[in-house]
Amino acid sequence: MKTHAIQSEESEVMAEIATERKSVITCEDIFVGYGSELVLKGVSLQIMAGSFVLLMGPNGAGKTTLLKALLGLLQPRRGQITTPFHRTAPGYVPQQKSIDPLYPVTVRQIVGMGLYPELGPWRRVTGDFRRRVDATLEQFDLLAHDRKTFSELSGGMRQKTLIARAFVSGAEIFILDEPTSELDERSEREVVQHLHRLARQQNKTVLLVHHGLGHAVDHGDMVCLVNHGKAVLLEPDENHSMEHVADAARRGIAKGKAS
Amino acid sequence: MIDSVRSLLTVFPYAIAAGSLIATACSLLGVFVILKRVVFIGIALSEAAALGVAAAIMFHIHPFLGATVVTLATVAILAYPFERQRLPRDAVLGIIFVLASSLSVLLVARSGFGLHEVQSLLYGDLILTDRTDLAIILVTLLPVLVYLLVFIRPSLYTFLDREAARVMGVRVMIWELLFFFSLGVAVSAASKVAGALLVFCYLVVTPSAALLLSKRLWLVMLSAVLVSVAATMIGMVWSFRSDLPTNHAVAAVACGLFAAVLVLVGTRRLLVRRVPAESIRLAGTEQG
Repeated sequence: MKTHAIQSEESEVMAEIATERKSVITCEDIFVGYGSELVLKGVSLQIMAGSFVLLMGPNGAGKTTLLKALLGLLQPRRGQITTPFHRTAPGYVPQQKSIDPLYPVTVRQIVGMGLYPELGPWRRVTGDFRRRVDATLEQFDLLAHDRKTFSELSGGMRQKTLIARAFVSGAEIFILDEPTSELDERSEREVVQHLHRLARQQNKTVLLVHHGLGHAVDHGDMVCLVNHGKAVLLEPDENHSMEHVADAARRGIAKGKAS
Repeated sequence: MIDSVRSLLTVFPYAIAAGSLIATACSLLGVFVILKRVVFIGIALSEAAALGVAAAIMFHIHPFLGATVVTLATVAILAYPFERQRLPRDAVLGIIFVLASSLSVLLVARSGFGLHEVQSLLYGDLILTDRTDLAIILVTLLPVLVYLLVFIRPSLYTFLDREAARVMGVRVMIWELLFFFSLGVAVSAASKVAGALLVFCYLVVTPSAALLLSKRLWLVMLSAVLVSVAATMIGMVWSFRSDLPTNHAVAAVACGLFAAVLVLVGTRRLLVRRVPAESIRLAGTEQG
């Protein structure tokens, strides 16, 4: 009886999520670049809530530029981007070079930075915030290293710290720029599985810049292929699995390189 | 020694108060100047303040006003995103330094003052701080200290990871501007009495010693203040007893303290490295 109740509750939640699957990020014919150089030329995208999107493309194709435009860090020269980031900050994982190791800040302080959007006007850190930081540190096996500075961490640990900073916030949308490039296989699997759970169980949206190999492909919903200044969404269907889609994207990248 | 300190306190109370306040504010700002890797900005702003004092002498206005106007104008110039041009920011700072240094001396060259007076006017003398100087320093540096201590979090986040901070809703432009504005105000107020050399020393030498001493930001900030204030007191007593120029004596003591910290940290590292090797040898002996 209890099992039935739980099942019906779950299906209700799933139905609710399904009806709530609305567009959370929309790009309409955007042109973005640096100086006189245009990197993205007429990109149109629609990302639905709860999607797990892998951003793939060759080096210099504009994956990071697209992420920065979505985050509001780069203004499009033309076109329009609609996001909810003016209301709720996304969980953002930049490439690990974003923090200068000279700064004497600890892992705990960096992870705590993720709670900044939730702090009050006087920016006071309460006990609840400390508990959330503790829980996130534990989740990423960082609790034993929480007093180490960024300079004392390995490449993988630095990435984990930046990922933990994004996850502590409880954001609705996560944007991650090659977050697993320096992680070992086990850590990569854990991070990808966690992102997958967030997308499936909590209807969170995930945009992940990825090389298209390994665990992320098993858990992604679609691929956003960025190449030659354009971006296309490739979705699996009845005949094509996510592995097929990622494979097609990789072939597209290789073809782009060859041409 | 104790008599010298007592005499100093009695005869030059304003100098001690002003010196301690300048040492505190400039060394706290200096921690971020070093972390942001904009060390050269300290000397460029100090020279800009000296140019402001020279202009003030020429146009018969208060030296603090002249120093503030020229220093803040320099900050405004430096706010321009030079990264987009082919000219690196460091080169611009170098040009400002050369321009300000030469112009400040040229402006007062025909004023009728002797070289010593010109130097004293442009680069100040901590020991000669009077009541008005102290009042100006209090009014300008106390808000800077309040800003640094109350708004440390958004400022740190801005400097630490500008993009991520922006995404999290930190108003990075405001905090960046506020920092450089505070730096400009502090340098212009401090340069009048402490001079370009000593202000630059507080911005670079003592915070460097503090960064060697600790790995925690609040401890680095505390150490920077303690080392700066200690250098100020020791330097003032030394200059008072040996009749030496105060600003230079304080700067020399600060460099001496930095050298002492460097030796201390180096020795500690050597000892830490040697301990495991010795313990392995000892363990081997026990087993044998």
